[in-house]
Amino acid sequence: MDTSIIIKAALILGGTGLVLGALLAVASKIFYVEVDPKVELIREALPGANCGACGYPGCDGLAEVIAKGEAPPSACVAGGAEIAKQIAAILGIEVKEEKVAKKALVRCGGGKNEVAHRYIYDGELDCEMAQQIGKGPSLCSYGCLGFGSCAAACPFGAIVMGEDGLPNIDWHKCRSCGVCVEVCPRGIITLVPEDKKVHVLCCSQDKGKDVRSICKKGCIGCKACEKICEFDAIHVVDNLASIDNDKCTQCKKCVEKCPTGCISVLLKGHHSVEEVAGTV
Amino acid sequence: MQRLFLIFLAAFLINNILLIKFIGLCPFLGVSSRFDTSIGMSMAVIFVMTLASMACWGVWNLLLDPLGVGDFLYIPAFILVIAALVQFIEMVIKKVSPTLFKALGIFLPLITTNCAVLAAATESVKPGFWKLSLEYNYGLGEALVYTIGIALGFSMVIIMFAAMRERIEIAPIPHSLKGIPIAFIAAGLSSLAFLGFKGLFGI
Repeated sequence: MDTSIIIKAALILGGTGLVLGALLAVASKIFYVEVDPKVELIREALPGANCGACGYPGCDGLAEVIAKGEAPPSACVAGGAEIAKQIAAILGIEVKEEKVAKKALVRCGGGKNEVAHRYIYDGELDCEMAQQIGKGPSLCSYGCLGFGSCAAACPFGAIVMGEDGLPNIDWHKCRSCGVCVEVCPRGIITLVPEDKKVHVLCCSQDKGKDVRSICKKGCIGCKACEKICEFDAIHVVDNLASIDNDKCTQCKKCVEKCPTGCISVLLKGHHSVEEVAGTV
Repeated sequence: MQRLFLIFLAAFLINNILLIKFIGLCPFLGVSSRFDTSIGMSMAVIFVMTLASMACWGVWNLLLDPLGVGDFLYIPAFILVIAALVQFIEMVIKKVSPTLFKALGIFLPLITTNCAVLAAATESVKPGFWKLSLEYNYGLGEALVYTIGIALGFSMVIIMFAAMRERIEIAPIPHSLKGIPIAFIAAGLSSLAFLGFKGLFGI
C-alpha cells in the first residue's frame, strides 16, 4: 500500500491550515479595531432585552450612543433610576433629575365574567387579528379583548393573562418600556406614575345606558366622582371619567362613591396588580 | 464571448442553485422572510462566493492538482480556505469600511460554512458534478463568470422569494399553512417554473 500519498495529504492540509492560521493571527493584529471599553461596561449595565423603547437599535446601539455622550445615562426607559445611576458611575457623571418610575396599567375591568361576546372567535390567539374581524368578538368596543398579545409581547415577562381574561401586570417586573402599549390594538394600556394608585379602569366612551347593558364594571359617566372630588381632579369627558394625576391627592373618596366600581385603588385587589399587592 | 454568456446563463437560470439544485436551502428559507435582510444576504453571498471561488481555484490549480491529491482532498481544503478567507475579509472590512461592515456584518459569519458557497467553489474548479452539457474548461475567466452567475442566481431567487413571502404574510391562507409550510409550497411552485428554462439555447 502506498502510504506516501497519505503523508502528502496530511502535510498539505496541515501546512495550509498552519499558513492560514498564521495569516489570520497577523491580520487580527494589523486590522485590530479598538473598541471603547466604556461601551462594553454600559452594555453590561443595560437590561439587555433589546426592547427598543429608547429609540436606538437595541441595547448595543444605545450603549454606543451613551458612551459617545449623545444620549443621557438615563436614556434607557426600561432600566429606570437604578440603571441610570450605574451608567452614570461608569461615565463618571451625576444623574441630574430623578424621575418617578412609570408602570403599565390596563385600563379595563371587563373580564370574561363582566362582558359577553357577540360571536365565538376561533382564530389565532392574537388581539390585533381578533380586532380585524368585525372589530373584535367582545361586546364592548373599547375594552380588553383578552387574547394576550400584550403578555406575548412583554420583553420582561411581566404580563400574565389572569383567569378572568384580563392581563395581570407585575409591577415589580414592569420596566415601562411601552411595548405592550403599542401592541394593544385598542390602546387600553397606558404608562402611569408608580406612586399614583387611583385610576379609572375603563376606556368606554359609550353612553351610560349602553355601558350598563354590556359591562358590569364600566364607567357610565354619572359624574358622581366629579361632584365628590374636592380637588377638581376628576372630570367626565365623552362619557368617561378621567383623573388628573397632578391634582389627585389619593383621598379615595371617588373610589367609594363610584356605583360600578370602575375607579379602583391599585394594590387593593384590582386584577392588574393583585400579584403586586401580594408581594409588596 | 458566446461561451461565457452561455456559462453565465446556465449558472444563473438553467441550473439555478436554489430552485433547481436545491443547495443552500437554509439561508433560502431562513433569511427570505424580510425584503431588506434578503438584500443584505444577497450582497454578502455575491461578495463571498466570488472571492471564495477564486481562492479555491488558485488552491486547486497551484497546490492540489499538481501534487495529485485533489481528487480526495478538495472538500476539506476548500472548507479550510473559505473559512479562513471569510474571517480575513471580515477583519479587513471592519477596519477599512465600517459602513460596509454594518451592512454585511451579520451575514458574513453566516455564510462561512454555507454549502452554496462550497458548491460554487467546487463546481468552478471541478465541473461535472452538475452536468452542464457545456464544454467548460478550468480557466480562471470561465470559473469567475460561472461563480458570478451562481451568486446572482442565488440573489435573484432569494430577493424574489422575500418579496413573495412578504405578500403571503398578509394573504388569507389557512392557519395551518402559515409560515414555513406555505414557503415550501411557494418554493416548490417557483422551482417548477424554473424547470421551464431547461433546454434554453440547447444547454
